[in-house]
Amino acid sequence: MGAPRLIAAKDLRLRIRDRSAIILGLIAPLALAFIFNLVFGGAFEPGGIDLSYGLVDEDHSDASVALGEVLGDVESQGILSLETFQEAGAAEAALDSNLIDAFFLVPSGFERQIHTGGEPVIEVVGDVDEQTSTQIASSIADQFATGVETANLAVATTGALAGGGASPELIASMGGDPSTAAFSYQLVEDAVPTRQLDGTTYFAAAMAVFFLFFTVQFGVLGLLEEERDGTLPRLLAAPLGRSAVVGGKALLSFALGMISMTVLIVATQVLMGAQWGAPLGVALLVVTGVLSAVGIMGLVAAGAKTAEGAGNLGSIIAVILGMLGGVFFPIGGSGDLLSKLTYLTPHAWFMRGLGDLSNGGQWTAALPAAGAMLLFAAITGVAAWLLLRRRLLA
Amino acid sequence: MKVIAIAGANLRRMLRERSNIFFVFIFPIAVILLIGVQFGGGIDPVVGLLAPEPDGLAVSVADAVRGVEAIDTRDFESEDALVTAVERGEVQAGVLIPSDIGEVAARGQIVEIGWVVRPDGLGIQLQSVVGSAIAEVMKPVGAAQFASEETGRDFETALGQATALAPAMSDISVETRTVGEALFPPSMGQFDLGAPQQLVLFTFLTALAGSAALILSRQLGISQRMLSTPTSTSTIIGGESAGRFAVAFLQGIYIMGLTWVIFRVNWGDPLGAMLILLLFSAVGAGAGMLMGAVLENEQQAAGIGVVVSLGLAALGGAMLPLELFSPTMKTVAHATPHAWALDGFAELVRHDGTTLDILPELGVLAVYATILLVLAAWRLRLALTRPA
Repeated sequence: MGAPRLIAAKDLRLRIRDRSAIILGLIAPLALAFIFNLVFGGAFEPGGIDLSYGLVDEDHSDASVALGEVLGDVESQGILSLETFQEAGAAEAALDSNLIDAFFLVPSGFERQIHTGGEPVIEVVGDVDEQTSTQIASSIADQFATGVETANLAVATTGALAGGGASPELIASMGGDPSTAAFSYQLVEDAVPTRQLDGTTYFAAAMAVFFLFFTVQFGVLGLLEEERDGTLPRLLAAPLGRSAVVGGKALLSFALGMISMTVLIVATQVLMGAQWGAPLGVALLVVTGVLSAVGIMGLVAAGAKTAEGAGNLGSIIAVILGMLGGVFFPIGGSGDLLSKLTYLTPHAWFMRGLGDLSNGGQWTAALPAAGAMLLFAAITGVAAWLLLRRRLLA
Repeated sequence: MKVIAIAGANLRRMLRERSNIFFVFIFPIAVILLIGVQFGGGIDPVVGLLAPEPDGLAVSVADAVRGVEAIDTRDFESEDALVTAVERGEVQAGVLIPSDIGEVAARGQIVEIGWVVRPDGLGIQLQSVVGSAIAEVMKPVGAAQFASEETGRDFETALGQATALAPAMSDISVETRTVGEALFPPSMGQFDLGAPQQLVLFTFLTALAGSAALILSRQLGISQRMLSTPTSTSTIIGGESAGRFAVAFLQGIYIMGLTWVIFRVNWGDPLGAMLILLLFSAVGAGAGMLMGAVLENEQQAAGIGVVVSLGLAALGGAMLPLELFSPTMKTVAHATPHAWALDGFAELVRHDGTTLDILPELGVLAVYATILLVLAAWRLRLALTRPA
C-alpha cells in the first residue's frame, strides 16, 4: 500500500510546483464562477418580474368599474401594482417612460355593446419589450371578459330553460347572482419546495465540476508522460506491481480532484455565499463525482497513444460532457431528446444531486445522484484499470 | 516573404492537430446549433399536465391548456413525476386535472384543479395565462350550474342549453398591441442573436489558445534557431502574429460562412461584418501573442487562456446579450473588445447599418489591436533575445 502513496505524493509535489494544476483546479473555476455570477446573477434569479399596470376607464359603467375592482383585488394580493389614469394619453406617456409595463383601456360604450349584442372590446397596450407582463395583462383582461360572458350566458340559459328569455323580470326574480357562474372552478395551489440551486451556487458548482475533469487529468496523464520521458520502464523495474504504478497515478488524480473540490466549496461559500447543502450529502456527491471523473479520464488516457493526444482528447470529452451536462446553460426541460441525453453525463447528476440537497434537503436526497455517478466511476474505472495495466506490459 | 512562411507554418501546425479541428471547426457550430435549439425560438415556459383520458370535461380542460400560445406543455403519467419535475425546475408549473371533474360539475359543485408551483417560479404569471384558458372552457359549465340551480332542471339539460346558446352570445374581445421599438425585432432568426456571440467567443478563444504553440516554440528552441538564420526579430514577430491572426480569421470566416449557409444567419452588410472580424481577429492575435510572450508554461497558458477568453466573453456580452445588462455592467462590458464587436454586429444586423455606421466600433477595435500587438512585440522581442 506504501508504493502507490509514495508515487502519488511525489507527483502531487510536482504538480503543485508546476502551478498549472492550481490554475485549472482552483483559479479558473473560481474566477469564472465569480464572473458568471456577476453577469448572469440578476437574469438568473427567478420571480423577478414586477407587474405594474395602468387602467384607463373611458366607459364609467358598472362593467368597466368591475374590471377596476377585479384588478384591485389582484393588487391587494401583492401580485401587481395598479395606477389609474384619466385618459389614454397619460397612460401612454407612463408607458413610454417605463413607469408601467402595460395598461388596460376600456373604451366608452363598452357596457352598451355588451347589452346590445355589439362587439365590446377591452384594449391592452403594452411595452414591446415587456412581452411577459403584457401577456399577463392580456390574460387578466381575458379572464375578466370570460367572467362577464359567463354571467350573461348564465342569465340567457336560465331564461331559455324558464321559457321566458332573459327578461328584466327574470333577472329580478333570480335567487342567485349570475356573476357567481364564473366561479365554477378554482385553481387549488399546491406549493412545492424548490429543488433547484440558486444562481450563485449553480455557477460555483457548475464551474467546479467542469474544471474537475481537467484537474484529475494531471494524475492519470502522468503515466503517459512517464512513458514519453522514459521514466516508466525504470519505475517498472523497481520491485512494484503494475497495479501499484497505475494505483499511484489514480490516487493522485483522486487527491487532486478532492483538494480542488474541497477548496472550491469552502471558497465559494465564504467569498460568494454559495449554499451547498447538507455537508454529508455534498461529501457523497463530491467523492462519487471525483471518482467518475478519474474513471472517465483514466479511460481516455488508456485509449490514447501519447500524453499530448490524451490531453487533447480529454479536453474534448470534458468540454462535450460539460456542455451536455448543463454547466454553461441549463439543458432540456421540454422532455425532448436533449433532456434525456444530459443524464449520460456525471455533470448533470452532480448538479441534480446538489439541487435535491438545496433548501434544507436531507443528505439522503443525494443518494440517487451519487449512485449514478458511482456507476459511471465503476464502469469506466474498471475498464481503465484493465487497459492501463495491460498497457504497462507492452 | 519569410513572414508569410512563418505564418503558414503556424497555420499548418494548428491544422495538423486533430483536436484543434474539433475546437476550431466542429465545436463552435455545435454550440450555435445547441443554443439556437434551446433558446432560439424564444423561451416559452413549460407547464406540466396530468390529464386523465375518459372524462370529457377533463379532456376539454387539458386541451384548453395545451392550446395556450405563450406556453409549451408536457404530459405526465403520474402526479409524483409532475410534482418532482416542478420541484426540479424542469417545468415551471403543473396542472393536475382530477379524473372526476365532469361528475363534480354535474353535482353543481366547484371543480378543483390542482396548480403545482414553486415559491420562486413563474407560478403567478403563468396562473393568469392558464386560468384564462380554463375559464373559457368552463363558461357553459358555470352557466349551466347556475341555470340548473335557478330553474330546478337537471344539469345535463342546462349544459345542453348553455352550449347551444353560447355561440350566439356577444363575445368581449381583448385586443392586445405593443408600442415602442423592440430590442430584438421578431424578424430575427432563431440563430441570429447567438451566432455573432459565438463568433467573438470562439475566435478569441482560438487566438489565445495559439499562445501555447508560441511557448512551445520558445521552449523547444525553434524561435532561437530561427533567429540564428538571417531573419530579424521583427520578421519572426510579424510571422508569429500573422499566424495567430490567420487562424482566428479563418475560423471566423468559416463560422460566418457556414452559419449563413446552414442556419440562414443574417450577418448584415458583408463589408462591415468582414471588417469587424478582421480587426477582432487582430485583437485576439495580439492578446494571444502577449500571453505567449509573457508565460513560460504551455499548460498554464491553456488554463489562463480558457479563463480569460470565457471571462471576457461573459463580461462582453457574448453569453448574455448586452441589451439585458444593467447600466453599470454595460459600462464594464465596454472595457472588453467583445462588447464593441457585438455592438458592431448588432448595428449591422438589427438596424441595417453600413460600414460607415460602425466606424466608432471599428476604431475602438483598431486601438485595442494596435496596443496589444505593440505590447506583444515588445515582450516577445525581450523573451527571444534575452540570454537563456
